[in-house]
Amino acid sequence: MTRLLREHPPIDVELDAEGRIVAIVWAGRREPVEVCNRWRIDEGWWRQPIARDYVKVVGAHWLALVYLDRIDGTWHLERIYD
Amino acid sequence: MTTHPSDVATALASLRTRWGEAAPRLGGLVPDHPGAVIGTLATVPLPDEQEHPLGVPVRPPDDDGVVRTGFAALDAILGPGGVPRWAGLAVRGDVSSGKTTLALRLAAEAQAAGSIVAYVDLARSLDPVEAVARGVRLEWLVVLEPTSLDEALAMAGALVAGRSADLLIVDLPAERGSRSGSGGSHRAPRESVPGPASSRRRSPSVADRLGRLAALARRADVLLVVLEPPGLPDPVSSAIAAAAGLRLELARRTWIRLGRDVVGQRTEVVVARNRAGPPGRRAELRIIYAEGGDRDACLLREPLLTDAPSLLRSRADHRATPPPPLAASPPPIGPGARVGRPGLRLVPERTARAGRTAVDRRDGHRREPDRSRARRPTGDGPRVGPPARA
Amino acid sequence: MALGSAHRLAPEATFLDPDLAADTAAIERALDVLAAFSPGVAGATDPADPAFGLLEVQVDGLERLWGPEAVLAGRLAAALAGILPGGPRVGIAGTRFAATTAAGLAVAPDRPWIVEPGGEAAFLASLPVALLTPDPDIRARLTRFGLRRIGAVAALPRSSLVARFGIEGERIHARANGREIAAFRPRRAPERLVLGLGLEPPIEDLEPLRFVLHRVAGALAEQLLARGAAAGRAELRLVLDPAFARRGTPTALAVEQRFPEPTAEAAAIERLLLARLEREPPPAAVARIELELTEVAPATGQQLALFVPQAARAAQLGWQLARLALAFGEDRIGRLELTDPEAPLPEARWRRLPIGSGSEGGFRPLVPETASTGSVEGAAR
Repeated sequence: MTRLLREHPPIDVELDAEGRIVAIVWAGRREPVEVCNRWRIDEGWWRQPIARDYVKVVGAHWLALVYLDRIDGTWHLERIYD
Repeated sequence: MTTHPSDVATALASLRTRWGEAAPRLGGLVPDHPGAVIGTLATVPLPDEQEHPLGVPVRPPDDDGVVRTGFAALDAILGPGGVPRWAGLAVRGDVSSGKTTLALRLAAEAQAAGSIVAYVDLARSLDPVEAVARGVRLEWLVVLEPTSLDEALAMAGALVAGRSADLLIVDLPAERGSRSGSGGSHRAPRESVPGPASSRRRSPSVADRLGRLAALARRADVLLVVLEPPGLPDPVSSAIAAAAGLRLELARRTWIRLGRDVVGQRTEVVVARNRAGPPGRRAELRIIYAEGGDRDACLLREPLLTDAPSLLRSRADHRATPPPPLAASPPPIGPGARVGRPGLRLVPERTARAGRTAVDRRDGHRREPDRSRARRPTGDGPRVGPPARA
Repeated sequence: MALGSAHRLAPEATFLDPDLAADTAAIERALDVLAAFSPGVAGATDPADPAFGLLEVQVDGLERLWGPEAVLAGRLAAALAGILPGGPRVGIAGTRFAATTAAGLAVAPDRPWIVEPGGEAAFLASLPVALLTPDPDIRARLTRFGLRRIGAVAALPRSSLVARFGIEGERIHARANGREIAAFRPRRAPERLVLGLGLEPPIEDLEPLRFVLHRVAGALAEQLLARGAAAGRAELRLVLDPAFARRGTPTALAVEQRFPEPTAEAAAIERLLLARLEREPPPAAVARIELELTEVAPATGQQLALFVPQAARAAQLGWQLARLALAFGEDRIGRLELTDPEAPLPEARWRRLPIGSGSEGGFRPLVPETASTGSVEGAAR
């Protein structure tokens, strides 16, 4: 089961020199993570575009799904695997 | 008032034939003793255990008082082969410990036995697609979305008192507080259990209400399940501990990988408390997360799955093993492959031409050549994995 | 099809302008004629309705009156022959979907297509999947999955269809397996039930008001029961006594409440209305109470077509949740429904159905049907 965080809370991510995610910061917790999968979604380009780069990340405590909103450049947490 | 017009009596009789003991009835301890009609708006008196006059049982028919967890290894160590309805269950675990999966499997098993399930989604994180994949029937799932723990307890109490649900799951959100060194901004928690400073004012009341809810659930033969994250204020945590006849502690031990991707986990369950059997027993739950699509067929092939430690690799490993590119379309699988639950037969999808953005005329969505589809998770894995450790 | 295309296809044909009023009148007369055969008759009377032209008749228990089903079908067709142009085609089966499909396969009014009891799934198995749903997207997806016959869909697990197609998947599975999922709602004659009582002296507290409401609801419920009917909605009108009220207090209060399901249960009606009054108490003493029950229709009884234990308690659950919704807010309680499980964005995969509106959010064991799956004339069951 995954927890779908309906409000997609914004998060901070730390990137390495190559631009890869190495840590997630959410709700006051910093979690070093490793990327295990990625994909891209482009939706609704003819009305209200949604452009997201999804990244599945795993850390010592979490398995989570985050995404980069390419339109406003913010990172969000969408899902926590539980 | 000592006598009742015939229309009142007729209405009551008609209501009783349909709703049984849940119907309003004449007050007083002796059924034929005249008195005021009660139960109109007040809490319905808890019925005795008897069949509905029309033969429709008030409780699910083949329940035998025990709700299976959906994990055979866990059922085996719980004494009566599952969670007794009277017990009250507390499931404690950190994020990604598997407690939500366990709760939904429990809900699915209860529904399969004829129960109606209510889910108090205080955390606002219930995913119905995932729930269906775990076997939950949405048409028999009541979802309560309170704005505070107080409201959650009030709604839950009303539901339990009315005996309209047989299983009540209360999903408590984790306490979220800012810590030093975060370096980033985040949205203020919309909902949380009161923190330590406020607990001195409010938590005793919340704790009392939790205890009352648990007692009411026991009397009403409603199984109360509380998903308990770590970090709850002590009075609340203590109230949960006191109210639960069965307490499970979940801790994830390993991830399960398919190549680089993490597709599942092994979680250890410890029976920390058990009024229906011996405590201290342990079991392993094997939970698989499927994303939907062709790759899910690989989840059935055990040699492809590996257990990975929970520790993160070093930064050096990141440089040595670059992350995957945006996922390309996986190779199509043969027809007829069945993947876990829900077990829909997969047919190779038409793939977009490489290097072009395909406008999928099915729904007008533009998709990149790589896979960009909704996930369709499947169930957890005792059916396909190795025998679980007892 | 454009008229020019039709001319090219059938140059010898005569094309008439539509006369919607005449068509509607014909259907109404047809329904009246069918009502002489069975108390359970239904059909769309709006020419814009996709099901316009489809007439449904419940034939259970009519054998003793009209003979075997084949004979009954002949009688129905003969009765409608002078009313409906071209004569009706008749199909008889155990579910509405199967009967409609069978009517579509009937080739002539005197040759009804009758599906043996319990044989609905076998009858449907070899038919194309396009019949299962009017949704073109779902039809296309079924075809892409290699599912071309209804029998192939019937063989799939219910949960997989729900996971793919949401609530429509549930309907598709039920139809393919010859299970009824939609309540038969007979054609109803508009009817109102209203009862009012003056209160002297005017009542200020809710408790005595409850007692009066109990009497009024009970009396109206008895009328419903006597007619074998149920009401879907209540309107409670209170005339307020302005004598000791604050300036600006309205002189009347109207409460409209839809029920989770049509009912003739006085206590259930009373409890729901009182819950509304508790949430919004009258601002002044009540001098007159008037209760009107509307949307009255023949009671269909408890539907247990899904044969699941929960179905028997659905009504009770619906009523209690309606009261909870009144107490805590309709946005706090609901259930969830999958709409498009395969949508790329999670927010597009499901929706929330609030409780208490008595419509989609109500807990019912049966799923409301969508538009008819085909344009079949004269289907009868």
